[in-house]
Amino acid sequence: MIAKALLLTIIIPLFSGVIMFFLPEKLRRIKESLLVFSSLASLLLAIFLFQQKLTFTLPWISPGLELSFRLYQFSSFMLLATAFFGFFIALYSVVFMRGRNFLSQFYGYFLLAIAFSNGVFLSDNLLVLFFFWEAFLLLLFGMIAVGNKEAFKTATKAFIIVGITDLCMMLGIALTGHLSGTMAISRMNLPLNNGVTNLAFILLMIGAISKGGAMPFHSWIPDAATDAPLPFMSFVPAALEKLLGIYFLTRISLDMFQMTTKSGVSILLMTVGAITIILAVLMALIQKDYKRLLSYHAVSQVGYMILGIGTAVPAGIVGGLFHMINNALYKSGLFLSAGSVEKQVGTTNLEKLGGLAKKMPVTFTCFLITAVAISGVWPFNGFFSKELVYEGAIERGWIFYFIAVLGSFFTAASFLKLGHAAFLGKLSPENAKTKEACFSMLIPMIVIALVCLIFGVFNQLPLNHLIQPILGIRLAGHNFSGFPASIWMVVVTFAVLFLAVANHLFGVKIKGSGLHALDHIRYAPFMAKIYDLAEKRFFDPYNWGLGIVNIISRISLGIDKAVNWLSDGLSVWLANGLSLGIRRLHTGNYSIYLAWSLVGMLVIFGVLVIL
Amino acid sequence: MSALLILVPFFSVLILNLPLKGIRKLAFGGAICLSLLQMAAVFIPDAAFWKINPHAFGSIFSFELSADSLSKVILFCIGLVSFSALFATRQTLKDSAGRFNFINIILIAVAGMNGVALAQDIFSLYIYLEITAISSFILIAFNRDILGLEGAFKYILLSGVATVLMLAGIALFMLIAGSTSFAVIHAVLLNHNKDFLISLGIGLFIVALFIKSGLMPFHGWLPDAYTAAPAAASVLLAGVVTKIAGVYVLIRILVSVISFSPAIKSILLLVGALSAILAAIAALTQSDFKRMLSYSSISQVGYIILGVGSGSVLGIAGAALHIFNHAAFKSLLFLNSAAVECQLGSRDIEEMGGLAKQMPVTSLTSIIGSLSCAGIPPLAGFWSKLVIVIALWMAGFRAYAVIAVLGSILTLTYFLILQRKVFFGKPNAEFKDIKEAGFSLTFPALILAALIIGAGIFTPFILNRFILSFNSIFGG
Repeated sequence: MIAKALLLTIIIPLFSGVIMFFLPEKLRRIKESLLVFSSLASLLLAIFLFQQKLTFTLPWISPGLELSFRLYQFSSFMLLATAFFGFFIALYSVVFMRGRNFLSQFYGYFLLAIAFSNGVFLSDNLLVLFFFWEAFLLLLFGMIAVGNKEAFKTATKAFIIVGITDLCMMLGIALTGHLSGTMAISRMNLPLNNGVTNLAFILLMIGAISKGGAMPFHSWIPDAATDAPLPFMSFVPAALEKLLGIYFLTRISLDMFQMTTKSGVSILLMTVGAITIILAVLMALIQKDYKRLLSYHAVSQVGYMILGIGTAVPAGIVGGLFHMINNALYKSGLFLSAGSVEKQVGTTNLEKLGGLAKKMPVTFTCFLITAVAISGVWPFNGFFSKELVYEGAIERGWIFYFIAVLGSFFTAASFLKLGHAAFLGKLSPENAKTKEACFSMLIPMIVIALVCLIFGVFNQLPLNHLIQPILGIRLAGHNFSGFPASIWMVVVTFAVLFLAVANHLFGVKIKGSGLHALDHIRYAPFMAKIYDLAEKRFFDPYNWGLGIVNIISRISLGIDKAVNWLSDGLSVWLANGLSLGIRRLHTGNYSIYLAWSLVGMLVIFGVLVIL
Repeated sequence: MSALLILVPFFSVLILNLPLKGIRKLAFGGAICLSLLQMAAVFIPDAAFWKINPHAFGSIFSFELSADSLSKVILFCIGLVSFSALFATRQTLKDSAGRFNFINIILIAVAGMNGVALAQDIFSLYIYLEITAISSFILIAFNRDILGLEGAFKYILLSGVATVLMLAGIALFMLIAGSTSFAVIHAVLLNHNKDFLISLGIGLFIVALFIKSGLMPFHGWLPDAYTAAPAAASVLLAGVVTKIAGVYVLIRILVSVISFSPAIKSILLLVGALSAILAAIAALTQSDFKRMLSYSSISQVGYIILGVGSGSVLGIAGAALHIFNHAAFKSLLFLNSAAVECQLGSRDIEEMGGLAKQMPVTSLTSIIGSLSCAGIPPLAGFWSKLVIVIALWMAGFRAYAVIAVLGSILTLTYFLILQRKVFFGKPNAEFKDIKEAGFSLTFPALILAALIIGAGIFTPFILNRFILSFNSIFGG
């Protein structure tokens, strides 16, 4: 019986989500309570199922395609994380979304997102997993599209980018199923020893890292940050997508394929991770919008996770997974603080913010905790997970370590800028009447900030109970909890953080404001040109894709016009001409008609005699 | 007993013209009954009914009659189209004395055509053809207006040429075979297939039949004759007369007398393709309703000839099916043109527009007829065209199969032009008080439309029976 409780984790949010669509707009209270209580139910269910091992199989279309679910260490952790964010962000959304349109749709999508993520985490069959994965893509579109006026365009962009990578993933699934002879994930274990398996891995990897938001599949996230409703950003790109993407990446690199330090794909993953870390954080530096700045960090941080898992050494993998949950925590916390500012002040444009610390002390405190956590300051959770990723990276090559540390420097620098610009400095007169956000928006932020602190100070708790059991035997007796083993690496980290502070103070001194504290990097001789191009979206792969599509569509249009000309122009002209010509031949003159008959007769005789 | 099909119409004409009081009023009802009886008679399965004593009229000109499934199809078509034409006389010919004469001539033409369909020797075939032709001349010139007389004269002129050629051909066959019976000539021709005289005889016969069918380039008479004829005569001419006098006789001669050779096939395919395409192109820019339908007729006959030209049983079955379908949709369309002409007093499609609202039955039935003619599924015309195209493809004439499909596209094009100009588009203010045509034009139109739809839907059933029974005409 208990195995059927697995289905409930999908069915409860699915049904309440569907019901939500049919509730009329007027019943706001009912919709809000439905959202909160069904996400609460999911949370309780996830707590109840935590650390259990269950399987549930339903024979479906054919033997290879069965509806099979498997709950084990990893997936129960993921269910819990999803339900945790689901509940608290639902609580937050209820207040945040008041007075906005499309409530039914947004809440419905929100609940369906929980349902489909749970489906992905529980599926033990690649096809079933892909079904939920694709269903999630539709929600992504729907949740972005209910935002502001530009949102539809952004939603389309997200849909196209993720859709294309999901297509790669679909090919990967077909290939993997073909190679391993089964679609059951728990029965797969392919060695990465030839081109075809590597190709299958890379195709699946594209799906996974694109869901995680890594470069070059990231470009919709910053646009969504400004266009989509904020709880979406906090829930999906900051939390759920990282969970989904990294979960699947871990599954493919640990379970479905045997990735080792000798695998080429390991180098590929680390490279993607390193590039994502550095490029995204460089873009984050120059942002002048609270949410947009955060969104680039959402991209940058996923680089650490990919780098960590890509190292294929225990420290790196544990670090990557730990970073995944940490990032989900502090990034959604940061987005929630951005939402709180947006709700109370009415804007997230950093030019118009400043000095909010006194007006919104709780928000500021939560921001502070989550910001130092993301910057990797001891004793917050980000510090410990980054140290583990560093440990894994240095084992594979100093260049990865160097880039990761450099990324940390810029991360710290950009959060110094953000905090300074938004909460410190002068309060602008328009914002003089700003008040602290209401209670049910503060609760989620406080809880998340507290968890950030707990996961840092008591890092044994998540590491020993949530993450290390996932690796099980592969851990080979290591225990990564407690203070980092390598003291010199900790020293380097502290040194980098001090440098970031020094850099900030230097920037403030020459420019005179927190917002422009990083302008010396922005307008540095070489960087200025690169940044100019980046701001014109020159580096957005989506735009390149659009350019290519544009060329193709122009060629197609040309062909279409030519065909049109042939069918509507030339052939009509020809037919009319011929028709009029034939008409003119029919003069009504008997002798001409007789002559035709005579000619025809002669031809026929000719044919009869000759053939 | 099948001689009754010839004799009954003849004697009916005689009886109707007896100086008895009130007998003239029976003409319409009697003729309708005869056409219905003829359609019913086709379904008589009794073999004895269809067999005739071959030497009833002497030994040389044997007047043999016989009917196979091809003849039965033709007989049914004759019944169907004469039924429609008879109804059309009610509204198009106002003068009751004139109408009585017209009905008499229709009956004579029906007798002639039935004779053509049943004849089993070339000389009696020739006589029946002449009966049909002469009654047709009269029907075309019936109104004695200048255009009608001119059309009839053109028909007489080219038909006269055809008659001469045919008689010469018959003379040559008699010279060689010593008999006019199909079976005898066929047996003789099988032994002398490369004789020049035989080639000449075959050539004369084929050219004569091409003229009678109105195939390009022998079609000069056809558009004028069809256009100038009274509406009821057009229905009869386009629906059956030329199909029987030309196409049916051609099939009959080819199957029972001459038999297919590569040269004959290539002539048929060439002429068929030429007619199917050029006539369709010519139809595109016609502004006269009936003239457009006339060119359409040439094009459709071209189609039928393409099917015959494939030389296979399937092709001939397709051709026969298309003769039947053509009889249905072309009589329907000529009835529609009669309805429009009656109500508007004009045939110029450029002046018309938006008649769909004022003449809903005419509009609807003409759409069905047009679509069937263009070969749109599931209407009857689709299936016969499909069978013809398949037959061409299977016989290896793939280029001709493609041409046949192209011809269908052209057909659709000119019918869409016709529909748009007549029944849709902007209404002409001049014709705003127009009403639907009377019962006697809409009733047969509705029956024909229903037949087209029904035959289309039940074609797989009809086709099975057709193709199965068509094997037998080669066996004889």
